[in-house]
Amino acid sequence: MRTIELSAVTVEFPARVALHDVSVHLDQRRIAVIGANGSGKSTFARTLNGLVTPTAGQVRVHGLDPVRQAKQLRRRVGFVFSNPDTQIIMPTVAEDAAFSLRGRGLSRAEIRERVGAALARVGLVEYADAPAHTLSGGEKQLLALTAVLIGEPSLVVADEPTAYLDAANSRRIARFLLDEMPQQLVLATHDLRLAARCDIALRFEDGRLIDLGDPASVIAKYEVDQA
Amino acid sequence: MISLYRPGDSALHRLPAGPKLLIVMALALALSLAPADPWLLAPAVAGVAGAYLLAGLGPRDLGQEAWRLRWIVLVLAVGQIFFLPWQTVAANAGRVVVVILLANLVTLTTRTERLVDAIERALTPLRRLGVNPGRVALMLSMTITTIPVIAGYATQIREAQRARGVPLAPLAFVVPLLIMTLKHADDLADALTARGVD
Repeated sequence: MRTIELSAVTVEFPARVALHDVSVHLDQRRIAVIGANGSGKSTFARTLNGLVTPTAGQVRVHGLDPVRQAKQLRRRVGFVFSNPDTQIIMPTVAEDAAFSLRGRGLSRAEIRERVGAALARVGLVEYADAPAHTLSGGEKQLLALTAVLIGEPSLVVADEPTAYLDAANSRRIARFLLDEMPQQLVLATHDLRLAARCDIALRFEDGRLIDLGDPASVIAKYEVDQA
Repeated sequence: MISLYRPGDSALHRLPAGPKLLIVMALALALSLAPADPWLLAPAVAGVAGAYLLAGLGPRDLGQEAWRLRWIVLVLAVGQIFFLPWQTVAANAGRVVVVILLANLVTLTTRTERLVDAIERALTPLRRLGVNPGRVALMLSMTITTIPVIAGYATQIREAQRARGVPLAPLAFVVPLLIMTLKHADDLADALTARGVD
């Protein structure tokens, strides 16, 4: 079951309404979320793993409530932030990847094996013992992705994951997220070329979900409105 | 202690972190209690040099580690030279250098996660006093991770000031650094939550 369901969700912050009465039912593999700065796309993404609590309405992600069942949900929903520097928690590359496996009852040997395999998959195995802060921006974002995927989530939410990256690293991350990764993906992005490669696109404006459907038509309307 | 670990397979690398920390603590205590005689320190210096070699680190590494301590030695020596005989000053500075080199050797031959695990185990008895060893260990790890990030912010601010031709002003440096650090703490809290830490 890979259904994301929001019913009349409103998120209010002290100074503004970030999401306004959003209702949507999604079960596609790759879901793009587009909109201008402050439109509500990041709040929507954060609502999906309980980083933001709705003021009103119901959220169900893969059958779980992100607020009441936060612990179970965070094992199923991985989150990739835009700035790779702010998501590295442990000092070295391997330790940071292993951090996602803590509290799962795995032996040290099992953790080492899974970390080695996960780092090999993204080409970071040779940096396993390197201090994580010495990696390039693209490598840090790959590490962040590894740290998410090693926990075997069923959904990956990525909030502008290519915002801090150069063109080559953006392509590398996008290829991984959109083509190689089997998990369901919610991709909040300003990069309309990435959004176009998804199966469905959602467009937010002033906290409202104003368009939803085939990415090509949603993007075309967005570009006309932006012009 | 900022990720100094050098991978290796020496006896010192294989020695578990807990006993290694205990040995260093015992040696530091013994060196502190020994009489302030520079000649008595000679075996300790020889021992440290031997331990570096045993760990697969050459004289060059030892020299680099010792050279990093030059300012500490200077501050220690200047503070004492007017009041104590030079032999005592040399012995005191030598003791500090030997102890720091030993502590460095622990971080050079032990993965951070093993060190943090050992500290976590050592703190377990304090659970009865309300201390959560897991949280203390996580805090230590995150401190080690965050130091280079904040150092990076400091460099960014200095470069931004230079680029705008602003002369070095402590307040104009500290305020943005504080803001960036607090923002980083906020983002890190989100990352911890997203990765399932309560």
